[in-house]
Amino acid sequence: MCGAPAFPDREGVIEVKQLTKRYGRARAVDDLSFTVQPGHVTGFLGPNGAGKSTTMRLILGLDTPTSGEALVNGRRYATLGRPLHEVGALLDANALHPTRSAYNHLLWMARSNGIDPVRVAEVLEQVGLAGVARKKAGGFSLGMKQRLGIAAALLGDPGVLLFDEPVNGLDPDGVRWIRDLMRSLAAEGRTVLLSSHLMSEMALTADRIVIVGRGRLIVETSVKDLTERYDSLESAYLALTAGSVEYGAAR
Amino acid sequence: MIASEWLKLRSVSSTRYAIGAAALVIVLGAVWSFYVGTLADARGSIRAAAPEEGFLPLVQISLALVGVLAVTAEYGTGTIRPSLTAVPRRRALLAAKATVVAAATTLPALAVIFITHAVSHLIAGDRAVGYNAGSFGDDLPLLLGSVLSVTVLALVGLGLGVVTRSTAAAVGSVVGLLFVLPGIAPYLPQPWNVRVGAWMLPNLVPQIAGERISTRLDGLLPPAAAVAVLAGYALVALVAAFLVFERRDA
Amino acid sequence: MNVLAAEWLKIRSIRSNHLILAISLGAILLAVAVAMSAIAMYDSAPASMRAGARIAELEEVVLIVPQLAMGIMGVLAITSEYATGLIRTSFALVPGRRPVLAAKSVVVGGLGLVVGPVVVFATYAVSWWMLESRYPVAGFADRLPTLVTSSLTVAVYALLGLGLGAVLRSAAGAIAILVGLVYVIPMIVGNLPEPWSERLGSVMLGALPREITGEDLTSSVYGALLSPFAAAVALVLYAAVPLGSGLLLIRGRDV
Ligand SMILES: Nc1ncnc2c1ncn2[C@@H]1O[C@H](COP(=O)(O)OP(=O)(O)O)[C@@H](O)[C@H]1O
Ligand SMILES: [Mg+2]
Repeated sequence: MCGAPAFPDREGVIEVKQLTKRYGRARAVDDLSFTVQPGHVTGFLGPNGAGKSTTMRLILGLDTPTSGEALVNGRRYATLGRPLHEVGALLDANALHPTRSAYNHLLWMARSNGIDPVRVAEVLEQVGLAGVARKKAGGFSLGMKQRLGIAAALLGDPGVLLFDEPVNGLDPDGVRWIRDLMRSLAAEGRTVLLSSHLMSEMALTADRIVIVGRGRLIVETSVKDLTERYDSLESAYLALTAGSVEYGAAR
Repeated sequence: MIASEWLKLRSVSSTRYAIGAAALVIVLGAVWSFYVGTLADARGSIRAAAPEEGFLPLVQISLALVGVLAVTAEYGTGTIRPSLTAVPRRRALLAAKATVVAAATTLPALAVIFITHAVSHLIAGDRAVGYNAGSFGDDLPLLLGSVLSVTVLALVGLGLGVVTRSTAAAVGSVVGLLFVLPGIAPYLPQPWNVRVGAWMLPNLVPQIAGERISTRLDGLLPPAAAVAVLAGYALVALVAAFLVFERRDA
Repeated sequence: MNVLAAEWLKIRSIRSNHLILAISLGAILLAVAVAMSAIAMYDSAPASMRAGARIAELEEVVLIVPQLAMGIMGVLAITSEYATGLIRTSFALVPGRRPVLAAKSVVVGGLGLVVGPVVVFATYAVSWWMLESRYPVAGFADRLPTLVTSSLTVAVYALLGLGLGAVLRSAAGAIAILVGLVYVIPMIVGNLPEPWSERLGSVMLGALPREITGEDLTSSVYGALLSPFAAAVALVLYAAVPLGSGLLLIRGRDV
């Protein structure tokens, strides 16, 4: 990393502040505020269309907020010089060029952020794709693509990690592997924001929970708190989101 | 199945843009006719090209895109798999696509070309502007040949789209057939310029009407043969598509 | 520099780009084929007709192949990222975004600067070696200025394609407009009555190389009204306007 962090007390913190994003008249994210701290896995939950992916795109500076802001390490993502060293993200495992090899896919990413190519081999090993590194990514199963996306997120050894539904398409071994990986990344003191639909899996992986519905915050708390108030995370989720399971963003 | 393919094609916004671009020819044709008319007023008479012929390449390339995108858009987004699951009989699926593409391009082409023709004649009135020298009956073979060329190009686009599965490759090949090869043929030494040029897709349209290909190139094929060659382009592309589509993994 | 290395790797690690390069260089083979047919035709012609035998410049005939192929490479360099969703990764890695497009321009334009001269000069060599004993072939020194300017157009096409792709984000749309600019519009312009045919024909992309060298264009559909300097500026603008628009638009758009 380049020099001392600008905001030592906000190192590793994701701050979402009154964030609103409209597409036309639809509000995908609506005055949303929450904070994600390092050292935990924070589960990001909500029904389909609740605005989870949009929030992640806003954090990564890919979409421009209608109002409000999102900060990582106390700064707007767009102001980061070589962002892979600070933030790693998996948004869509299918975002690959079908005829490019897994190795070259990671290598161009490494090049663009001045990362030692040695890291490419390391992360491929770490996600279990070393054996197919020279194969075209287009031929991978969804589970293998998810692993490649995770490898990409880990490439710069970042302190902050965002994963949008990384468990989709993984076999039981893979699901277990992700759970252990997320927990170990958090145990190393990193910030992990993880969205998923699999409630039982989230109960085993996450320490903290942010639930959104129709773009708004429903609850921001610990898994322990929810499982104490309801008999399981799943019933907590179903009770809390009961009013907001409606497809299409709030108008 | 034809209904579902029609719905798919109609719901792709690029289809509407492409047909819109083709329809632009009516407007361009009107502007052209007004302009030519003022020139005729000033000079007495003038020999101007008919707008539906001059702007034909715009209709051809726009509607060929409809054919290409009818299939490459599905490969691009991965919806080809659900399509094939919904209709496991691939021949039937492709036949439905071909029917819909043919209809969805022939009708707009027919409308655009005949409306442009009518509008340009209305605007020209009884001034001698060149393109209104003959009767409607004289012009008819050229008009119908133009329409047919659009249908054929759309089907060729569809076939190339199936074979290449890539928008860029299919559009590139259509452009090759429509512009690049016909552009190279006249430079071949005689008599090859005529022998090769006569078989080029866009050059078949004037031969259907029994006209010279261009000021530089004579025709070679009689009208009936030109129609057959034109249809042959579509046939070859579609046969290749059927063969490839049936054997390949989605 | 990092971004440039990344974009270079991206371009060279995709199969379709190898195919596009092969097609571009295949133009040289096309020239050989045309030359062979010209030789066959010359040798079978009666001696009385041989003296007057003429043939078009092979470079001018086949140049359209690398021009279009590299134009499509430019288009795909950016639209394929939009189509696959990879553009989000690219922009997340380089939040400033403009360096991504700038680096793509350097890579694609650079390839055009290599491919164009290779095809043009190799094709001239083909016509010299194969045709010179039978047909009149202009000497190298006479042809050199036009060979140079024509060969540069390949890079212009590549950058034009990239710029259109960046603005439109769709391969079909960008290729359609590219084709419209280089084929459909010149055809229509060629049919216009004078003086518009001459005026507009002078600013068509295809007219510019020979306007720059001041060559005779009377037998073509193009006009020749621009001075060499103005034609050079116009050639640069064909690449710069779409790319500039792309650079302006790319920053603020949601992806
Ligand atoms: N680019 C976009 N244009 C228009 N609407 C969008 C766009 N992206 C997301 N939306 C809408 O915003 C809402 C939230 O979507 P998303 O963030 O993907 O939800 P989630 O990831 O929680 O399922 C949905 O209603 C979706 O249709
Ligand atoms: Mg989502």
